[in-house]
Amino acid sequence: MSLTVALSKGKLLAGTQELFGRAGLPFPDGESRRLVVSLGELRFLFVKDMDVPTYVEYGVADCGIAGRDVLLEAESDVFEPLDLGFGRCRLVVARPAGAHFAPDGSSTVRVATKYPKVAAGHFLGRGLSVEVVRLAGSVEIAPGLGLADCIVDVVETGRTLRENDLEEVEDVAESSARLVVNRASFHAQRTELSSLVEALRRAV
Amino acid sequence: MDGAHRLAQIPPGVQCFVGDEARRRRRIEGVVVSVFEGWDYEEIIPPLFDYADVFTGDALSSKTYSFVGRDGSVLALRPDFTSLLAKIAAGRLRERPAPIRLYYSGEVVRYEPPKAGRQSELFQMGLEHLGGDPRAADAEVLTIAAECLERLGVRGFVLTLGHVGVFTGLLAGSGIDEARLEQLRERVEVKDEAGIRRALAAVDIPPEARRALERLATLAGGPEVLDDAAETLACCPAAAEAVGELRTVSTALVRAGLGAHVAVDLGEVRGLDYYTGLVFRVFAPGLGFEVGGGGRYDTLLGRFGRPLPAVGFMLGLDRVALLLARQNEERDPAPATAEMVTGRNLGEALAEARAKRAAGARVRFGNGEER
Repeated sequence: MSLTVALSKGKLLAGTQELFGRAGLPFPDGESRRLVVSLGELRFLFVKDMDVPTYVEYGVADCGIAGRDVLLEAESDVFEPLDLGFGRCRLVVARPAGAHFAPDGSSTVRVATKYPKVAAGHFLGRGLSVEVVRLAGSVEIAPGLGLADCIVDVVETGRTLRENDLEEVEDVAESSARLVVNRASFHAQRTELSSLVEALRRAV
Repeated sequence: MDGAHRLAQIPPGVQCFVGDEARRRRRIEGVVVSVFEGWDYEEIIPPLFDYADVFTGDALSSKTYSFVGRDGSVLALRPDFTSLLAKIAAGRLRERPAPIRLYYSGEVVRYEPPKAGRQSELFQMGLEHLGGDPRAADAEVLTIAAECLERLGVRGFVLTLGHVGVFTGLLAGSGIDEARLEQLRERVEVKDEAGIRRALAAVDIPPEARRALERLATLAGGPEVLDDAAETLACCPAAAEAVGELRTVSTALVRAGLGAHVAVDLGEVRGLDYYTGLVFRVFAPGLGFEVGGGGRYDTLLGRFGRPLPAVGFMLGLDRVALLLARQNEERDPAPATAEMVTGRNLGEALAEARAKRAAGARVRFGNGEER
Protein backbone atom coordinates (compact mmCIF):
# COMPACT_ATOMS: atom_id res chain seq x y z
CA MET A 1 0.00 0.00 0.00
CA SER A 2 1.36 3.41 -0.86
CA LEU A 3 1.60 6.44 1.43
CA THR A 4 0.36 9.96 0.80
CA VAL A 5 2.57 12.85 1.92
CA ALA A 6 1.24 16.42 2.26
CA LEU A 7 3.77 19.18 1.59
CA SER A 8 3.61 22.90 1.00
CA LYS A 9 5.37 24.74 -1.78
CA GLY A 10 6.21 27.52 0.65
CA LYS A 11 9.37 28.24 2.61
CA LEU A 12 9.86 24.62 3.73
CA LEU A 13 10.05 23.18 0.21
CA ALA A 14 13.82 23.44 -0.32
CA GLY A 15 14.60 21.93 3.09
CA THR A 16 12.11 19.14 2.50
CA GLN A 17 13.60 18.32 -0.89
CA GLU A 18 17.11 18.15 0.60
CA LEU A 19 15.89 15.95 3.44
CA PHE A 20 14.15 13.50 1.10
CA GLY A 21 17.33 13.41 -1.01
CA ARG A 22 19.50 12.58 2.02
CA ALA A 23 16.99 9.91 3.07
CA GLY A 24 17.18 8.32 -0.37
CA LEU A 25 13.47 8.95 -0.97
CA PRO A 26 12.00 10.09 -4.28
CA PHE A 27 10.86 13.69 -4.61
CA PRO A 28 8.95 15.41 -7.43
CA ASP A 29 11.00 17.84 -9.53
CA GLY A 30 10.28 21.49 -8.88
CA GLU A 31 9.18 22.43 -12.39
CA SER A 32 5.83 20.73 -12.39
CA ARG A 33 2.63 22.61 -11.59
CA ARG A 34 0.85 19.40 -10.73
CA LEU A 35 -0.57 19.38 -7.19
CA VAL A 36 -0.78 15.59 -6.90
CA VAL A 37 2.29 13.61 -7.96
CA SER A 38 2.85 9.87 -7.59
CA LEU A 39 6.41 8.58 -7.45
CA GLY A 40 6.86 4.89 -6.73
CA GLU A 41 5.28 4.07 -3.40
CA LEU A 42 4.74 7.72 -2.45
CA ARG A 43 2.04 10.12 -3.50
CA PHE A 44 2.73 13.81 -2.89
CA LEU A 45 0.09 16.47 -2.33
CA PHE A 46 1.12 20.12 -2.63
CA VAL A 47 -1.17 22.30 -0.54
CA LYS A 48 -1.10 25.62 1.37
CA ASP A 49 1.22 25.44 4.40
CA MET A 50 -1.66 26.16 6.81
CA ASP A 51 -3.59 23.25 5.27
CA VAL A 52 -0.95 20.53 5.74
CA PRO A 53 -2.10 19.63 9.30
CA THR A 54 -5.71 19.46 8.12
CA TYR A 55 -4.96 16.99 5.32
CA VAL A 56 -3.03 14.85 7.78
CA GLU A 57 -5.58 15.07 10.60
CA TYR A 58 -8.36 13.85 8.30
CA GLY A 59 -6.16 11.05 7.00
CA VAL A 60 -6.33 12.25 3.38
CA ALA A 61 -2.56 12.33 3.73
CA ASP A 62 -0.84 9.76 5.96
CA CYS A 63 1.89 12.21 6.89
CA GLY A 64 3.17 15.65 6.03
CA ILE A 65 5.71 18.32 6.79
CA ALA A 66 4.63 21.51 8.53
CA GLY A 67 6.21 24.24 10.60
CA ARG A 68 5.62 24.20 14.34
CA ASP A 69 4.14 27.70 13.94
CA VAL A 70 1.47 26.28 11.65
CA LEU A 71 0.81 23.34 13.98
CA LEU A 72 0.32 25.67 16.94
CA GLU A 73 -2.25 27.64 14.99
CA ALA A 74 -4.03 24.64 13.46
CA GLU A 75 -4.40 22.76 16.78
CA SER A 76 -4.77 19.56 14.77
CA ASP A 77 -4.86 16.16 16.39
CA VAL A 78 -1.79 14.59 14.75
CA PHE A 79 1.43 12.91 15.86
CA GLU A 80 4.63 14.97 15.61
CA PRO A 81 7.35 12.31 15.83
CA LEU A 82 10.26 14.23 14.28
CA ASP A 83 11.75 17.68 14.56
CA LEU A 84 13.34 17.92 11.12
CA GLY A 85 15.67 20.73 12.15
CA PHE A 86 15.27 23.04 9.15
CA GLY A 87 12.97 26.03 8.69
CA ARG A 88 13.93 27.39 12.08
CA CYS A 89 12.19 30.61 13.05
CA ARG A 90 10.52 32.24 16.03
CA LEU A 91 7.03 33.56 16.62
CA VAL A 92 7.35 36.93 18.31
CA VAL A 93 5.39 39.98 19.36
CA ALA A 94 6.72 43.06 17.58
CA ARG A 95 5.81 46.75 17.88
CA PRO A 96 6.79 49.91 15.97
CA ALA A 97 10.41 50.69 16.87
CA GLY A 98 10.63 53.13 19.72
CA ALA A 99 6.90 52.96 20.52
CA HIS A 100 5.82 53.19 24.12
CA PHE A 101 3.45 50.29 23.65
CA ALA A 102 3.93 47.40 26.08
CA PRO A 103 1.46 44.51 26.12
CA ASP A 104 0.86 44.72 29.86
CA GLY A 105 0.57 48.49 29.74
CA SER A 106 -2.75 48.67 27.93
CA SER A 107 -6.26 47.55 28.80
CA THR A 108 -6.65 45.69 25.52
CA VAL A 109 -3.84 44.58 23.23
CA ARG A 110 -4.74 45.10 19.59
CA VAL A 111 -2.69 42.63 17.59
CA ALA A 112 -2.56 41.99 13.85
CA THR A 113 -1.54 38.48 12.83
CA LYS A 114 -1.83 35.48 10.55
CA TYR A 115 -1.92 33.36 13.73
CA PRO A 116 -5.12 34.43 15.51
CA LYS A 117 -5.33 31.46 17.90
CA VAL A 118 -1.68 31.62 18.89
CA ALA A 119 -1.85 35.39 19.39
CA ALA A 120 -5.06 35.27 21.43
CA GLY A 121 -3.74 32.37 23.53
CA HIS A 122 -0.47 34.18 24.21
CA PHE A 123 -2.11 37.28 25.66
CA LEU A 124 -5.15 35.70 27.30
CA GLY A 125 -2.85 33.18 29.00
CA ARG A 126 -1.16 36.10 30.75
CA GLY A 127 -4.43 37.67 31.79
CA LEU A 128 -4.31 40.37 29.12
CA SER A 129 -7.38 41.34 27.18
CA VAL A 130 -6.79 41.06 23.43
CA GLU A 131 -8.39 42.12 20.17
CA VAL A 132 -7.09 40.05 17.27
CA VAL A 133 -7.08 41.53 13.77
CA ARG A 134 -6.73 38.60 11.42
CA LEU A 135 -4.76 39.27 8.27
CA ALA A 136 -3.69 36.99 5.42
CA GLY A 137 -0.33 38.67 4.81
CA SER A 138 1.75 41.90 4.96
CA VAL A 139 1.14 41.92 8.68
CA GLU A 140 4.21 44.13 9.23
CA ILE A 141 2.52 47.27 7.98
CA ALA A 142 -0.50 47.02 10.31
CA PRO A 143 0.88 48.85 13.39
CA GLY A 144 2.34 51.72 11.36
CA LEU A 145 -1.04 52.33 9.75
CA GLY A 146 -2.92 52.26 13.04
CA LEU A 147 -4.68 48.95 12.45
CA ALA A 148 -3.11 47.40 15.55
CA ASP A 149 -0.67 48.16 18.39
CA CYS A 150 1.55 45.22 17.61
CA ILE A 151 1.87 42.06 15.53
CA VAL A 152 2.49 38.40 16.23
CA ASP A 153 4.45 36.91 13.36
CA VAL A 154 7.34 34.65 12.45
CA VAL A 155 10.87 36.01 12.36
CA GLU A 156 13.85 34.27 10.79
CA THR A 157 16.58 36.90 10.57
CA GLY A 158 14.66 39.93 11.75
CA ARG A 159 15.31 41.77 8.51
CA THR A 160 11.65 42.17 7.52
CA LEU A 161 10.89 43.62 10.94
CA ARG A 162 13.75 46.13 10.70
CA GLU A 163 12.80 47.19 7.18
CA ASN A 164 9.30 47.91 8.39
CA ASP A 165 10.50 49.77 11.51
CA LEU A 166 9.38 47.12 13.95
CA GLU A 167 11.15 45.69 16.98
CA GLU A 168 10.64 42.51 18.96
CA VAL A 169 9.04 42.85 22.37
CA GLU A 170 8.56 39.26 23.46
CA ASP A 171 8.93 35.66 22.30
CA VAL A 172 5.83 33.54 21.72
CA ALA A 173 7.24 30.23 20.49
CA GLU A 174 10.09 28.64 18.57
CA SER A 175 9.43 26.86 15.34
CA SER A 176 11.02 24.43 12.93
CA ALA A 177 9.80 21.93 10.37
CA ARG A 178 8.09 18.86 11.84
CA LEU A 179 7.04 15.54 10.43
CA VAL A 180 3.37 15.06 11.24
CA VAL A 181 1.62 11.69 11.03
CA ASN A 182 -2.05 10.76 11.01
CA ARG A 183 -3.06 8.86 14.14
CA ALA A 184 -4.97 6.13 12.34
CA SER A 185 -2.35 5.63 9.62
CA PHE A 186 0.33 5.37 12.29
CA HIS A 187 -1.35 2.20 13.56
CA ALA A 188 -3.30 0.88 10.59
CA GLN A 189 -0.37 1.34 8.14
CA ARG A 190 2.37 0.81 10.64
CA THR A 191 4.85 -1.07 8.46
CA GLU A 192 4.93 1.42 5.59
CA LEU A 193 4.93 4.48 7.84
CA SER A 194 7.57 3.33 10.26
CA SER A 195 10.05 2.68 7.44
CA LEU A 196 9.40 6.20 6.10
CA VAL A 197 9.77 7.73 9.57
CA GLU A 198 13.01 5.81 10.20
CA ALA A 199 14.45 6.84 6.82
CA LEU A 200 13.73 10.50 7.65
CA ARG A 201 15.00 10.12 11.23
CA ARG A 202 18.36 8.90 9.95
CA ALA A 203 18.55 11.78 7.48
CA VAL A 204 17.84 14.58 9.96
CA MET B 1 -34.61 37.75 4.47
CA ASP B 2 -38.07 36.22 4.68
CA GLY B 3 -39.21 34.18 7.66
CA ALA B 4 -39.43 30.84 5.88
CA HIS B 5 -35.86 31.13 4.68
CA ARG B 6 -34.64 31.95 8.16
CA LEU B 7 -36.56 29.03 9.68
CA ALA B 8 -35.04 26.58 7.18
CA GLN B 9 -31.56 27.23 8.59
CA ILE B 10 -30.10 24.65 10.93
CA PRO B 11 -27.67 25.26 13.78
CA PRO B 12 -24.11 23.98 13.23
CA GLY B 13 -23.38 20.52 14.61
CA VAL B 14 -26.75 18.85 14.09
CA GLN B 15 -27.58 16.34 11.38
CA CYS B 16 -30.60 14.81 9.73
CA PHE B 17 -30.67 11.37 8.12
CA VAL B 18 -32.98 10.44 5.28
CA GLY B 19 -33.96 7.09 3.78
CA ASP B 20 -30.89 5.04 2.88
CA GLU B 21 -28.69 6.86 5.39
CA ALA B 22 -31.15 6.25 8.19
CA ARG B 23 -31.50 2.61 7.13
CA ARG B 24 -27.73 2.16 7.17
CA ARG B 25 -27.54 3.58 10.68
CA ARG B 26 -30.29 1.29 11.92
CA ARG B 27 -28.51 -1.67 10.36
CA ILE B 28 -25.19 -0.78 12.01
CA GLU B 29 -26.90 -0.27 15.35
CA GLY B 30 -28.67 -3.63 14.94
CA VAL B 31 -25.40 -5.46 14.26
CA VAL B 32 -23.62 -3.89 17.24
CA VAL B 33 -26.53 -4.37 19.65
CA SER B 34 -26.84 -8.04 18.65
CA VAL B 35 -23.15 -8.53 19.51
CA PHE B 36 -23.68 -6.86 22.91
CA GLU B 37 -26.71 -9.07 23.54
CA GLY B 38 -24.72 -12.08 22.35
CA TRP B 39 -22.21 -11.51 25.15
CA ASP B 40 -25.08 -11.28 27.63
CA TYR B 41 -25.08 -7.55 28.26
CA GLU B 42 -28.29 -5.89 29.38
CA GLU B 43 -29.63 -2.72 27.81
CA ILE B 44 -30.04 0.49 29.76
CA ILE B 45 -31.95 3.45 28.35
CA PRO B 46 -30.80 6.27 30.61
CA PRO B 47 -32.42 9.71 30.84
CA LEU B 48 -31.61 12.41 28.30
CA PHE B 49 -30.60 14.88 31.01
CA ASP B 50 -29.48 14.70 34.60
CA TYR B 51 -27.91 16.93 37.23
CA ALA B 52 -24.85 18.59 35.72
CA ASP B 53 -22.52 17.46 38.51
CA VAL B 54 -23.04 13.82 37.47
CA PHE B 55 -20.90 14.62 34.43
CA THR B 56 -17.92 16.29 36.07
CA GLY B 57 -14.45 16.12 34.64
CA ASP B 58 -12.53 18.87 32.88
CA ALA B 59 -12.65 17.22 29.47
CA LEU B 60 -16.43 17.03 29.47
CA SER B 61 -17.63 20.00 31.48
CA SER B 62 -16.43 22.52 28.90
CA LYS B 63 -18.43 20.67 26.25
CA THR B 64 -21.64 20.15 28.19
CA TYR B 65 -24.92 21.80 27.30
CA SER B 66 -26.19 22.72 30.73
CA PHE B 67 -29.23 24.66 31.79
CA VAL B 68 -31.01 25.72 34.95
CA GLY B 69 -34.09 23.68 35.88
CA ARG B 70 -37.28 25.27 37.18
CA ASP B 71 -36.24 24.55 40.76
CA GLY B 72 -32.89 26.26 40.25
CA SER B 73 -30.81 23.10 39.96
CA VAL B 74 -28.21 22.93 37.21
CA LEU B 75 -29.03 20.22 34.68
CA ALA B 76 -27.10 18.95 31.67
CA LEU B 77 -27.97 17.13 28.47
CA ARG B 78 -25.98 13.91 28.65
CA PRO B 79 -22.51 14.44 27.11
CA ASP B 80 -21.53 10.85 27.88
CA PHE B 81 -23.17 7.56 28.89
CA THR B 82 -20.51 6.16 31.19
CA SER B 83 -21.16 8.54 34.10
CA LEU B 84 -24.90 7.90 33.84
CA LEU B 85 -24.49 4.13 33.80
CA ALA B 86 -22.11 4.31 36.77
CA LYS B 87 -24.71 6.34 38.65
CA ILE B 88 -27.46 3.85 37.79
CA ALA B 89 -25.30 0.85 38.74
CA ALA B 90 -24.49 2.46 42.08
CA GLY B 91 -28.04 3.66 42.67
CA ARG B 92 -30.98 1.78 41.27
CA LEU B 93 -28.94 -1.40 40.71
CA ARG B 94 -27.18 -1.14 44.09
CA GLU B 95 -28.35 -4.58 45.24
CA ARG B 96 -27.39 -6.29 41.99
CA PRO B 97 -24.27 -8.42 42.60
CA ALA B 98 -21.17 -7.71 40.50
CA PRO B 99 -20.13 -8.28 37.80
CA ILE B 100 -22.78 -6.23 36.05
CA ARG B 101 -22.82 -6.05 32.24
CA LEU B 102 -24.69 -3.11 30.73
CA TYR B 103 -24.95 -1.59 27.26
CA TYR B 104 -26.47 1.51 25.71
CA SER B 105 -27.16 2.89 22.27
CA GLY B 106 -28.21 6.48 21.76
CA GLU B 107 -27.29 10.12 21.31
CA VAL B 108 -25.07 12.26 23.46
CA VAL B 109 -24.76 16.00 23.00
CA ARG B 110 -21.53 17.91 23.23
CA TYR B 111 -20.63 21.43 22.39
CA GLU B 112 -18.10 20.72 19.68
CA PRO B 113 -17.42 22.58 16.46
CA PRO B 114 -18.13 20.10 13.63
CA LYS B 115 -14.74 18.65 12.75
CA ALA B 116 -13.14 15.36 11.72
CA GLY B 117 -16.27 13.24 11.96
CA ARG B 118 -17.45 14.94 15.12
CA GLN B 119 -20.77 16.70 15.42
CA SER B 120 -22.48 18.23 18.44
CA GLU B 121 -24.95 15.37 18.44
CA LEU B 122 -23.17 12.02 18.51
CA PHE B 123 -24.68 8.57 18.41
CA GLN B 124 -22.77 6.18 20.65
CA MET B 125 -23.09 2.43 21.07
CA GLY B 126 -21.19 1.08 24.01
CA LEU B 127 -21.01 -1.14 27.02
CA GLU B 128 -19.73 -1.17 30.57
CA HIS B 129 -18.44 -4.14 32.53
CA LEU B 130 -18.62 -3.38 36.25
CA GLY B 131 -16.85 -5.47 38.87
CA GLY B 132 -15.39 -8.93 38.27
CA ASP B 133 -11.80 -9.91 37.58
CA PRO B 134 -10.22 -6.85 35.97
CA ARG B 135 -7.96 -8.60 33.43
CA ALA B 136 -10.72 -10.96 32.33
CA ALA B 137 -13.07 -7.97 31.97
CA ASP B 138 -10.49 -5.99 29.96
CA ALA B 139 -9.95 -8.92 27.61
CA GLU B 140 -13.69 -9.58 27.30
CA VAL B 141 -14.48 -5.97 26.40
CA LEU B 142 -11.70 -5.82 23.79
CA THR B 143 -12.88 -9.10 22.28
CA ILE B 144 -16.44 -7.77 22.02
CA ALA B 145 -15.12 -4.61 20.35
CA ALA B 146 -13.28 -6.78 17.82
CA GLU B 147 -16.38 -8.89 17.16
CA CYS B 148 -18.48 -5.77 16.49
CA LEU B 149 -15.99 -4.65 13.83
CA GLU B 150 -15.75 -8.12 12.31
CA ARG B 151 -19.51 -8.42 12.03
CA LEU B 152 -19.78 -4.95 10.57
CA GLY B 153 -17.34 -6.06 7.88
CA VAL B 154 -14.61 -3.54 8.79
CA ARG B 155 -11.31 -4.53 7.15
CA GLY B 156 -7.90 -4.16 8.77
CA PHE B 157 -9.03 -2.69 12.10
CA VAL B 158 -6.53 -2.24 14.92
CA LEU B 159 -7.14 -2.03 18.67
CA THR B 160 -4.33 0.06 20.13
CA LEU B 161 -3.74 -0.60 23.82
CA GLY B 162 -2.23 1.87 26.23
CA HIS B 163 -2.26 2.27 29.99
CA VAL B 164 -2.70 5.42 32.06
CA GLY B 165 -0.47 3.92 34.76
CA VAL B 166 2.64 4.03 32.60
CA PHE B 167 2.74 7.81 32.41
CA THR B 168 1.46 8.49 35.93
CA GLY B 169 3.72 5.78 37.39
CA LEU B 170 6.83 7.32 35.84
CA LEU B 171 5.97 10.71 37.32
CA ALA B 172 4.84 9.50 40.74
CA GLY B 173 6.58 11.46 43.48
CA SER B 174 8.21 13.86 41.00
CA GLY B 175 6.19 16.80 42.33
CA ILE B 176 5.83 18.11 38.78
CA ASP B 177 3.58 21.15 38.67
CA GLU B 178 0.24 21.14 36.87
CA ALA B 179 1.26 23.39 33.97
CA ARG B 180 4.39 21.41 33.19
CA LEU B 181 2.51 18.13 33.52
CA GLU B 182 -0.01 19.25 30.91
CA GLN B 183 2.78 20.38 28.60
CA LEU B 184 4.54 17.04 29.03
CA ARG B 185 1.36 15.03 28.53
CA GLU B 186 0.66 16.94 25.34
CA ARG B 187 4.16 16.24 23.98
CA VAL B 188 3.88 12.52 24.87
CA GLU B 189 0.52 12.35 23.09
CA VAL B 190 1.98 13.69 19.87
CA LYS B 191 5.06 11.42 20.16
CA ASP B 192 7.50 14.34 20.08
CA GLU B 193 10.60 12.88 21.72
CA ALA B 194 12.57 16.13 21.52
CA GLY B 195 9.61 18.02 22.97
CA ILE B 196 9.34 15.55 25.86
CA ARG B 197 13.02 16.11 26.61
CA ARG B 198 12.50 19.87 26.65
CA ALA B 199 9.39 19.62 28.84
CA LEU B 200 11.35 17.50 31.33
CA ALA B 201 14.42 19.73 31.41
CA ALA B 202 13.58 21.39 34.70
CA VAL B 203 11.78 18.45 36.31
CA ASP B 204 13.55 16.57 39.08
CA ILE B 205 13.14 12.84 38.39
CA PRO B 206 15.52 9.86 38.38
CA PRO B 207 17.48 9.47 35.13
CA GLU B 208 15.87 6.08 34.33
CA ALA B 209 12.39 7.60 34.63
CA ARG B 210 13.46 10.49 32.40
CA ARG B 211 14.77 8.10 29.74
CA ALA B 212 11.61 6.00 30.00
CA LEU B 213 9.38 9.06 29.52
CA GLU B 214 11.35 10.02 26.41
CA ARG B 215 10.94 6.47 25.13
CA LEU B 216 7.13 6.70 25.44
CA ALA B 217 7.24 8.52 22.10
CA THR B 218 8.50 5.39 20.36
CA LEU B 219 7.00 2.56 22.41
CA ALA B 220 4.29 1.85 19.86
CA GLY B 221 3.78 -1.03 17.46
CA GLY B 222 2.79 -4.68 17.62
CA PRO B 223 2.34 -6.66 20.86
CA GLU B 224 6.13 -7.30 20.87
CA VAL B 225 6.56 -3.66 21.96
CA LEU B 226 5.59 -4.85 25.44
CA ASP B 227 8.86 -6.82 25.73
CA ASP B 228 10.84 -3.70 25.01
CA ALA B 229 8.59 -1.73 27.38
CA ALA B 230 9.08 -4.21 30.22
CA GLU B 231 12.83 -3.61 29.98
CA THR B 232 12.63 0.17 29.61
CA LEU B 233 10.13 0.55 32.45
CA ALA B 234 11.68 -1.97 34.85
CA CYS B 235 13.02 0.99 36.87
CA CYS B 236 9.54 2.01 37.93
CA PRO B 237 7.36 -0.63 39.65
CA ALA B 238 4.06 1.17 38.99
CA ALA B 239 4.80 1.52 35.27
CA ALA B 240 6.13 -2.04 35.06
CA GLU B 241 2.93 -3.31 36.66
CA ALA B 242 0.87 -1.43 34.07
CA VAL B 243 2.88 -3.09 31.30
CA GLY B 244 2.32 -6.45 33.00
CA GLU B 245 -1.45 -5.87 32.89
CA LEU B 246 -1.29 -5.02 29.21
CA ARG B 247 0.78 -8.10 28.56
CA THR B 248 -1.76 -10.37 30.26
CA VAL B 249 -4.56 -8.89 28.16
CA SER B 250 -2.65 -8.82 24.88
CA THR B 251 -1.41 -12.42 25.32
CA ALA B 252 -5.00 -13.53 25.83
CA LEU B 253 -6.19 -11.64 22.74
CA VAL B 254 -3.40 -13.13 20.60
CA ARG B 255 -4.26 -16.60 21.89
CA ALA B 256 -7.92 -15.96 21.00
CA GLY B 257 -6.93 -15.33 17.37
CA LEU B 258 -7.01 -11.52 17.44
CA GLY B 259 -3.23 -11.03 17.14
CA ALA B 260 -3.49 -9.32 13.75
CA HIS B 261 -5.75 -6.68 15.31
CA VAL B 262 -3.78 -5.89 18.46
CA ALA B 263 -1.34 -2.97 18.69
CA VAL B 264 0.34 -1.26 21.59
CA ASP B 265 0.77 2.47 22.07
CA LEU B 266 2.28 3.47 25.39
CA GLY B 267 2.24 7.11 24.33
CA GLU B 268 -1.54 6.93 24.60
CA VAL B 269 -1.97 9.04 27.72
CA ARG B 270 -4.99 11.18 27.08
CA GLY B 271 -8.68 10.60 27.04
CA LEU B 272 -11.35 11.34 29.57
CA ASP B 273 -9.91 12.03 32.98
CA TYR B 274 -11.80 9.18 34.65
CA TYR B 275 -9.65 6.49 33.04
CA THR B 276 -7.36 4.76 35.54
CA GLY B 277 -5.81 1.79 33.71
CA LEU B 278 -6.11 0.25 30.25
CA VAL B 279 -7.09 2.73 27.53
CA PHE B 280 -7.65 1.76 23.93
CA ARG B 281 -8.71 3.13 20.59
CA VAL B 282 -10.00 1.53 17.43
CA PHE B 283 -8.54 2.54 14.06
CA ALA B 284 -9.09 1.20 10.57
CA PRO B 285 -7.71 2.05 7.12
CA GLY B 286 -9.87 4.57 5.31
CA LEU B 287 -10.68 6.78 8.29
CA GLY B 288 -8.12 9.21 9.65
CA PHE B 289 -9.47 9.21 13.19
CA GLU B 290 -10.60 6.56 15.65
CA VAL B 291 -13.91 4.75 15.23
CA GLY B 292 -14.25 4.22 18.96
CA GLY B 293 -12.37 3.44 22.11
CA GLY B 294 -12.61 2.80 25.78
CA GLY B 295 -10.78 2.04 28.95
CA ARG B 296 -10.78 1.14 32.59
CA TYR B 297 -12.18 3.54 35.20
CA ASP B 298 -11.82 2.06 38.67
CA THR B 299 -12.67 5.16 40.70
CA LEU B 300 -15.74 6.54 38.94
CA LEU B 301 -18.32 4.32 40.68
CA GLY B 302 -16.89 5.26 44.06
CA ARG B 303 -18.09 8.82 43.39
CA PHE B 304 -21.63 7.46 43.41
CA GLY B 305 -21.09 5.43 46.58
CA ARG B 306 -20.41 1.98 45.19
CA PRO B 307 -16.69 1.48 44.64
CA LEU B 308 -16.39 -1.06 41.83
CA PRO B 309 -13.67 -1.45 39.22
CA ALA B 310 -15.06 -1.03 35.71
CA VAL B 311 -14.12 -1.08 32.04
CA GLY B 312 -16.09 0.03 29.02
CA PHE B 313 -15.94 0.89 25.36
CA MET B 314 -17.99 2.60 22.73
CA LEU B 315 -18.23 2.92 18.97
CA GLY B 316 -19.32 6.14 17.31
CA LEU B 317 -22.14 5.37 14.89
CA ASP B 318 -21.37 8.34 12.68
CA ARG B 319 -17.78 7.25 12.34
CA VAL B 320 -18.63 3.60 11.72
CA ALA B 321 -21.00 4.72 8.93
CA LEU B 322 -18.29 6.93 7.43
CA LEU B 323 -15.71 4.15 7.67
CA LEU B 324 -17.96 1.59 5.99
CA ALA B 325 -18.68 4.06 3.21
CA ARG B 326 -14.92 4.68 2.76
CA GLN B 327 -14.08 1.00 2.81
CA ASN B 328 -16.78 0.60 0.19
CA GLU B 329 -18.49 -2.29 1.84
CA GLU B 330 -21.39 -4.01 0.15
CA ARG B 331 -24.40 -1.79 -0.34
CA ASP B 332 -27.07 -2.06 2.26
CA PRO B 333 -29.80 -4.36 0.99
CA ALA B 334 -32.55 -2.24 -0.57
CA PRO B 335 -35.98 -2.61 0.97
CA ALA B 336 -38.50 -4.72 -0.96
CA THR B 337 -40.31 -2.87 -3.71
CA ALA B 338 -43.68 -1.65 -2.55
CA GLU B 339 -46.85 -3.00 -4.13
CA MET B 340 -49.26 -0.30 -5.23
CA VAL B 341 -52.78 -0.69 -3.89
CA THR B 342 -55.45 1.51 -5.41
CA GLY B 343 -59.14 1.14 -5.99
CA ARG B 344 -62.21 3.16 -6.75
CA ASN B 345 -63.75 2.14 -3.47
CA LEU B 346 -61.67 3.41 -0.54
CA GLY B 347 -62.88 0.74 1.87
CA GLU B 348 -62.20 -2.11 -0.57
CA ALA B 349 -58.76 -0.75 -1.33
CA LEU B 350 -57.92 -0.49 2.35
CA ALA B 351 -59.11 -4.06 2.91
CA GLU B 352 -56.86 -5.21 0.05
CA ALA B 353 -53.91 -3.29 1.49
CA ARG B 354 -54.48 -4.82 4.90
CA ALA B 355 -54.56 -8.29 3.41
CA LYS B 356 -51.27 -7.68 1.61
CA ARG B 357 -49.77 -6.26 4.80
CA ALA B 358 -50.90 -9.31 6.73
CA ALA B 359 -49.06 -11.41 4.12
CA GLY B 360 -45.92 -9.35 4.86
CA ALA B 361 -45.79 -7.20 1.72
CA ARG B 362 -44.51 -3.62 1.62
CA VAL B 363 -47.50 -1.62 0.45
CA ARG B 364 -47.90 1.80 -1.03
CA PHE B 365 -51.45 2.93 -0.63
CA GLY B 366 -52.89 5.52 -2.97
CA ASN B 367 -55.72 6.67 -5.09
CA GLY B 368 -53.90 6.04 -8.33
CA GLU B 369 -52.53 9.58 -8.64
CA GLU B 370 -48.98 8.63 -7.69
CA ARG B 371 -46.94 5.86 -9.19
